[in-house]
Amino acid sequence: MASVDKEFITRGLRRSSTGRFLLWILPWVALLVFGLYSAGLCLVKGLNQTNMDNRFAFGLWIFLDLTVIALGAGAFFTGFLLYILKIDELRSVINSAVVIGLVCYSGAVTVLAVDVGQPLRSWFTFWYPNVHSMLTEVTFCISCYLTVLLIEYLPIVLRNRKLHDVPSFLVFEHELHKLIYVLAGVGTFLSFFHQGSLGGLYGVLRGRPFAFREGLAVWPSTFFLFILSAAAVGPSFILLTTWLVEKLSRKRLVRPTVFRRLARISGLLLAVYVLAKAVDTLVWINRTSPGTGFQAWQYYSWKPFGTWILFAEIVVFGLLPALVMLTPRLRAHTGWLVTAAAMACCGVALNRFVMTVQTLALPTLSFDPYLSYYPSWQEVGTFLAVVAYGVLVYSFSFRYFNLFPEERELRLEAAAQEEEELALAGRY
Amino acid sequence: MLPWIYGFNWNAGHIIFLGAFYMVLAALVATVASAAIRSRRALRMDQAEAIRWHSDFESMPACDQVCRHVLTGEFQSRQCPHAFDCRECETHAKLIQCHPLPRVEEPEEDVFGMAFPLDRFYHRGHTWARLEKDGTVLVGLDELGARLLGRPDALVLPKPGDRVHANGAAFHARRRDAEVRVVSPVDGEVVETGSAERGWYLRVKPTSNDAKTFRHLLRGAEIKPWIQREMERLQLALTAEGAAPALADGGVPVSDIAAAYPAADWDAVCGEMFLEG
Amino acid sequence: MSANKRYGMSIDIDKCNGCGACMMACAVENNIPPAPEAANDRRGVTWIRVYKVDNHLAYPERRTAFVPVLCQQCGHDTPCVHVCPQQAVDVDPETGIVGQMPERCLGCRYCMVACPYHARYFNWWDPKWPAGMEKTLNPDVAPRMRGVVEKCNFCHGRWHAAQQKAAAAGQREIDAADYVPACVEACPTGALRFGDLSDSSTEVAQDAQRPESFRLLEKIGTEPKIHYRSRRDWVREIASAPRPEGKDGLRG
Repeated sequence: MASVDKEFITRGLRRSSTGRFLLWILPWVALLVFGLYSAGLCLVKGLNQTNMDNRFAFGLWIFLDLTVIALGAGAFFTGFLLYILKIDELRSVINSAVVIGLVCYSGAVTVLAVDVGQPLRSWFTFWYPNVHSMLTEVTFCISCYLTVLLIEYLPIVLRNRKLHDVPSFLVFEHELHKLIYVLAGVGTFLSFFHQGSLGGLYGVLRGRPFAFREGLAVWPSTFFLFILSAAAVGPSFILLTTWLVEKLSRKRLVRPTVFRRLARISGLLLAVYVLAKAVDTLVWINRTSPGTGFQAWQYYSWKPFGTWILFAEIVVFGLLPALVMLTPRLRAHTGWLVTAAAMACCGVALNRFVMTVQTLALPTLSFDPYLSYYPSWQEVGTFLAVVAYGVLVYSFSFRYFNLFPEERELRLEAAAQEEEELALAGRY
Repeated sequence: MLPWIYGFNWNAGHIIFLGAFYMVLAALVATVASAAIRSRRALRMDQAEAIRWHSDFESMPACDQVCRHVLTGEFQSRQCPHAFDCRECETHAKLIQCHPLPRVEEPEEDVFGMAFPLDRFYHRGHTWARLEKDGTVLVGLDELGARLLGRPDALVLPKPGDRVHANGAAFHARRRDAEVRVVSPVDGEVVETGSAERGWYLRVKPTSNDAKTFRHLLRGAEIKPWIQREMERLQLALTAEGAAPALADGGVPVSDIAAAYPAADWDAVCGEMFLEG
Repeated sequence: MSANKRYGMSIDIDKCNGCGACMMACAVENNIPPAPEAANDRRGVTWIRVYKVDNHLAYPERRTAFVPVLCQQCGHDTPCVHVCPQQAVDVDPETGIVGQMPERCLGCRYCMVACPYHARYFNWWDPKWPAGMEKTLNPDVAPRMRGVVEKCNFCHGRWHAAQQKAAAAGQREIDAADYVPACVEACPTGALRFGDLSDSSTEVAQDAQRPESFRLLEKIGTEPKIHYRSRRDWVREIASAPRPEGKDGLRG
């Protein structure tokens, strides 16, 4: 335990030695540097460094941004369940959820800044907002929610052992944490709207009958489907990451009941989502799409995106994981739980992929070709930078902040059990 | 964005959208500002120590937050709602009225070979307070606390004239890798500092000197069950923190426990025993 | 105040021989820089693009036609206008022309995704003119920078010039002959006509009423103001939704 940074690590938590930690960090730093170089190329030389074009105006970045933001929904939804609905069990994952949310949102916003042609004009959206645009709603809500996440992250940082010694930090952390309910409420409100408007982004596209949906008032059905799917997959992603961190750090971080609770919430919402998505698809096939002069079957006759993609999205990666997570017998096995959670995450990613990439690949004019697009290495690199950044922020947070408040208690419990076993072994 | 900027319209869409945006901004600013203002007030009113104690208490496992009346067997289970400050606890007030503690005849309690004189009051963070004839209160480490820290490598004592708060830090000690804040059992002003050799660390002029001053501290018949429980906790902490040989049941702890378990994460063990999160 | 106009265009596909003079004239008029070497047909900028379409039959039944596609100046639910997050796209109520303000464009390209006609172009590169060529730039039109979206605005520079001319002459109305977009002017076969659709006396308004007239993707409800026409049935089929390859029989 020769860690030079031991005094910064939460008391009673075991973390790897400084050397091992640096070794773990190193490849991610390398990836981050490579990614920053890619992003720098895009910023300095322009978006000609990407493989996007006038027809494929959105590419890998928008697809992954949508996915990452859906997965990051765990932060707002866990906060909502814990602070507003008072499901106290989730206290043990809330800090981790906040860090994951922060990583997802800040990463997505960074990629968006590279994705626009004139990043320095980003403030125009705030200054001259077109309130009818879904993108305006997204921009406002995401930047506000990122602020909320930063404020929610602050108490986690300030609880660091060294920082907590400073009286003003200690007191501020204490006072801010008392008001966390306000932040959870505001975060829920904002998330509700931007998850929705990210879906609305595509649903309103009258000119893209593949994506166009009817809906309620100004909101197309995708608005509600995106909220539902993000809320469903958020807890799954928390489950998945927590499990992954447990495996990587070889520690028990939360009680199995928390896993099961997360899975039950996720499964329930996913089931509702699958049902709503199925209804929406039927309405779209039989009403919305023919109404715009586009027969729905033709979307699926352009290979490779056949009807299998619809089946995979709704049944394989939607219904199936929902059923697994709702079956108590299967839920009892961590293996099933984790597989189902991973499948649910894949399902949402597939949905975002279909909305972004398939929408743009399909022709709208009868003399349009069917288009394909492969991201350039600069695009992939830029995204890898976000992944590396996320892993780094999470690793540092895991090392220096107390992300899983029950970790120490669980270790003491394990020790008690060990003692009992020893005592039993000694007696007989 | 603002009424005089191009593109702004006084229509419902604009008003609702921007209204919601400004309300969110106002809520965020108000939250941070009120937290800042309240923390400034708390710092001015010298509440930092109390907040630190509450924070430490909250980060303790639920099984360690147990009420003193569970130690004596009066309750099956009860979690302390007052962060071990029985001065505000109505339940405690009622209980000591109805069931006064049984008298202990011996002048000191011997638990696992450790001496706990009964002429003083004990804090659950392993300090004691003894009211002197001159009205001052001596503060020291109890036997278990002393054995945990052994001879501290470093000691930071407050200066005479400094104030200490009950449940706040009395002084800081370092042993091996363990940095420990030792809690003060009473409120008051430090008049003199002692040392390990003198058997006490602080002489404090208490803020008040009535029946309530020591109400939150353990005494008499409570000591034995409390220390028995503390020994269980110590054994658990030692096992958890990687001390190779566990304390034998009923064995007598050595006089310098820190030296006896070189492999243990002493910082974590001390954090556990001195109730520091 | 004079009544609001609704500028539109009629395109006789049967007359278009695909020479590309409209594209050339447009580029010159609107200061569109020469495409860099790395550009391809999906990354270049051309406000009007002539597509080649055919009837999907084998020789000797094979027939081809040319379809110039420019911004369709959608008159209803204009897809690009309501998606732009910062009001860089608007419809001029006086002319009905969908305007693009590159100075305010963020380059998010959401409008390009929204446009079903692919009539919007992004500046993937910095605009560069070979030495000496900058002297040919049109002083009435501002060149656009890298990272913004642009599209056909029915030669806004010419509209502005016509207005100034009318103002100088003390007239409120511009003379229709003074405002003709460059592509219309350049078309050697007269396939392109331009004018006010709200005035039933104009040629364009009458063209729009012809039975062989059609608009692209009319069913999505965007009310485009570019009216195509052809006497050939299979050409009129291009207005409808796409059909995948191998389903040619459905093309009639």
